Amino acid sequence: MTTSVESARSRIVGATFKYAVSLIVTLIVAIPLYISVSGGFKTLGQLQAQPLNLPMPFVASQYTELLAGKVGSFWRDLGNSTLVAALTVALDLVLCAAAAFALARIRFRLSGLIYNYFLIGLLFPLAVAILPLYLQLRNLGLVNGYWGVVLPQVAFQVPWNIVLLRGFFKSIPRDLEDATAIDGYGPIGFFYFMVLPLSTPILATAGILALVASWNNFFLPLLVFNDSSKFTLPMGVMDFMGQHGASWNQILAFLTLAMIPAVILFILAQKYIVAGLTSGAVKG
Amino acid sequence: MKRFMTTAAIAAVTFLIAAGISFAGGQKEPGAAPSTGPVKFTFWHLDTATNQKAYWQGLADAYMKAHPNVSIEITVLENEAFKSKVATLMQSGSPPDLFRSWGGGVMDEYAKAGLLRDITKFVKGTAWGKTMAPGVIAVYSYDGKQYGMPYDMGAVTFWYNKELLAKAGYTSFPTTWSDFLTMVTKLKTTGVTPISIAEGDKWPGMFWWAYLAMRIGGKPAFDNVLSGQGKFTDPPFVQAGQKLVDLTKLGSFEEGFLGANQGAGAALVGNGKAAMELMGQWGPTTEAQNAVNKKGIGDLLGTAPFPVVEGGAGAGTDVLGGGNGYAVGKNAPDAAVDFLRFVTDEKNNATLAATGTIVPTAIGADSGLQDPLMKMVKGIVDKAGYFQLYLDQYYTPAVGSAINDNVQQIFAGTMTPAQAAAAIQQTYEMNQ
Amino acid sequence: MAYESSIVLSRTVKKRRRATLFTLLLLIGPAFIVFTLFVIVPVLQAAEYSLFRWNGLGPLTHFYGLRNFGFLLRDIIFQKALLHNMLIIVFSLLVELPLALLLAMIVGRGKFKLAVFFRTFFFLPFVLSEVITGVLWQFIYNPQYGLINSIISFFSPGNPGIAPLGSPTGVFWAILIVIIWKYFGLHMTIYIAGLQGIPVELEEAARIDGASNAQVIRHIVLPLLATTIQITVFFSIIGSFQIFDIVWAMGRGDPVNGAETMVTYLYKFGFQRFNMGYGSSVAVAIFVICLVFSIVYQRLLLREQRG
Repeated sequence: MTTSVESARSRIVGATFKYAVSLIVTLIVAIPLYISVSGGFKTLGQLQAQPLNLPMPFVASQYTELLAGKVGSFWRDLGNSTLVAALTVALDLVLCAAAAFALARIRFRLSGLIYNYFLIGLLFPLAVAILPLYLQLRNLGLVNGYWGVVLPQVAFQVPWNIVLLRGFFKSIPRDLEDATAIDGYGPIGFFYFMVLPLSTPILATAGILALVASWNNFFLPLLVFNDSSKFTLPMGVMDFMGQHGASWNQILAFLTLAMIPAVILFILAQKYIVAGLTSGAVKG
Repeated sequence: MKRFMTTAAIAAVTFLIAAGISFAGGQKEPGAAPSTGPVKFTFWHLDTATNQKAYWQGLADAYMKAHPNVSIEITVLENEAFKSKVATLMQSGSPPDLFRSWGGGVMDEYAKAGLLRDITKFVKGTAWGKTMAPGVIAVYSYDGKQYGMPYDMGAVTFWYNKELLAKAGYTSFPTTWSDFLTMVTKLKTTGVTPISIAEGDKWPGMFWWAYLAMRIGGKPAFDNVLSGQGKFTDPPFVQAGQKLVDLTKLGSFEEGFLGANQGAGAALVGNGKAAMELMGQWGPTTEAQNAVNKKGIGDLLGTAPFPVVEGGAGAGTDVLGGGNGYAVGKNAPDAAVDFLRFVTDEKNNATLAATGTIVPTAIGADSGLQDPLMKMVKGIVDKAGYFQLYLDQYYTPAVGSAINDNVQQIFAGTMTPAQAAAAIQQTYEMNQ
Repeated sequence: MAYESSIVLSRTVKKRRRATLFTLLLLIGPAFIVFTLFVIVPVLQAAEYSLFRWNGLGPLTHFYGLRNFGFLLRDIIFQKALLHNMLIIVFSLLVELPLALLLAMIVGRGKFKLAVFFRTFFFLPFVLSEVITGVLWQFIYNPQYGLINSIISFFSPGNPGIAPLGSPTGVFWAILIVIIWKYFGLHMTIYIAGLQGIPVELEEAARIDGASNAQVIRHIVLPLLATTIQITVFFSIIGSFQIFDIVWAMGRGDPVNGAETMVTYLYKFGFQRFNMGYGSSVAVAIFVICLVFSIVYQRLLLREQRG
């Protein structure tokens, strides 16, 4: 039996350890981000000499020029990224929730086979299928259009979302289903009136993961969009780097602006991610 | 004018039919009126810098104003994105109508696959064909047929900082390789980085290897490889690699040169931190773009040809170079070809030359060249008895990549010059 | 009463089953079609191309059988790429995942002030795009004035510093650090979710019985976290085989293939060299490796559960 003094000491040591580790990791995460944010406010000369110091003189022009649209194409890229991501997430959730529900709750012979069929998609990165995929898109007339990016993105997200959603749907108690059956609803009614409302957290999780994947996708939009008016943010970043070569203060300003939407969204949505992952999908 | 309109109309209808076949619902064309049918074509380039982008837009606008039925759709991508995007389009069988090309082996691959339009009839024996030197036009031909035209053809030369050289005791650039090495050693003692090479991009290193092989083996060395009488494993190429090893051992290059890209390399010269770089005619422009002061070293910049290697079979006037031009895609309408002629005509070529970013190809356009350094480069090009296109463009993509990759290995010390030469030869033979 | 409701139940159960085929098509159909059209079909086509020598332009004419695979297995650069993928896996399992687990235990539970803040913050790097991360770290590693070199010159002035991304041997480790930086937060978050599923009463009961922290972790937490750990290990390994964007954004696997991975190899030696047949064979090889691994992994897990 430990004495209260010993346990108090070990608690303090434990707490110190925890705070120390957390602080170190926080610094490791934060410093690169700080450099990006502050770098954008520096002159190129100061950036090269003192990457860690606070900006002095404080130069707002890199950021203001970008925001005013005088340099680069931040707003245009942002708009395109948003549109593509919104379409991807919407389509993705509708298709995958429906399919995952069927695979989770309806017993039919091919259920396992179809589930494994979807799982195969986990083993292929987009980069690998890119040429035949491009030919496919061309034959369907989807090149240079938003759907040419949205549909493949949805397709490649399907395996992940089905795994996530099916796990959750399986954990919904049978009684609920029987209850709706007595009320006269078939499986679709059960799905629409009972399952969907209950699934908001996991749908949010799946949606956010799909959003992040779409938002950060670089190679697919690069290959599909010819028209620079449709470029998404990652393409805009590479383009900006190509244009402004070694002007790192401008590049860092652009990088920071490009990070902000993702960060804001994440902060707003992060409680859903944890809740969603907790709700049983991970126990799989 | 009337003949042009009929041609344009025929082109428009043909284009619409071709578009209908190869793009299921992709193109949105207004209904084509029989005699002045609207024509649309695509124009792809990679000049993302604001003023250059504006230049091309301006040209397109001027042409569209003069030809109201023509609509030009411009796509601009930065260098690496451009190359992979065009490659994908080629592989899917639907090339852009006009796209930036460096001629040579890459363009030949496209021509062999039937992806380019043969414009020989527009060029051979016509006024257009007489606007440029034959050797320059030849870069954009394959198997006797013309597939594009250049507007810029220059040489790779040294771009050096006169002040930094003076501090090391040099008022003029060395003309022999051994003098050059001595200068590099002296520069190191003054505390400056002698050479900025940006070998992260790999092709800058290829420039050095190519020039040394040219100086040691001359044109015959390269002709022999093509004819099969010689190989990349022959002495000129291996010795060239050995000289690179010597240069690296002297510590001539910048910190982290194996990972540096062209922008970083140009910045070093533009900021006065490195004494020189071996670069194409765009050298001064990129140095200015990437320098902190956005202007580069200005009057302190000088240019000089690659030194002679004592005892070598090559001439000091032999030039490694290349330029820029546009290739014509197989579906391009006549209007696109006409626009290309517009781009390369003397007046527009001279206007572009005046910006100091190119060495113009049109005869007489060098009147637009105001920059004395650019005039020097043009002089070097004009005097060349033997003009060699950049090796990674001259050979097929597979061999070009192999050369770039293996030369980088020589710089990194992970392969001996002989091993690198053997690897290049192996790729060359596999792709015959 | 119970008897009547169970009759009603079985009748509705039968009615439910009859509606199934149409329901199934409606529910699964769209996802199935999109998935097949844009994932499976291109993948099968890639398999077809791998049997040809093809530069990607024009029709498939030069049948090559399995020779592409022969070259692949013998190429030292591919072997190097595969080795790099393996190293990434090893370090992910030995460094990244344990780190993520440790952090999850620190900030994932109970009475730790600012836990929620830390949890959110550590997840941030995962949310950033690979392109943004790659460009940002290029600046940090910049040999002339990046962060690393500024710190070095602060402590030892006149030191020429290091050039991580320019070093044939160093570039791999430089990128590995960035990979860990970017993804540890994801695994940590998954572990936190798993930890929150462990009933607090179990831990409290063990503590009352006198168990130390270490014992609690070993005998209660880890076993209950087992499934979660298995899942993160699986995705970490599959992800490591497929890693591309971040390596590409930080130097394309060069100099001299110092950070080459299987997918960068595919791009360079297939795509960029106009060798589409060969590139497709690399794609097939990656798929087979992932497939074999999945099967072996699942068998191993099943055997463990039975034993």
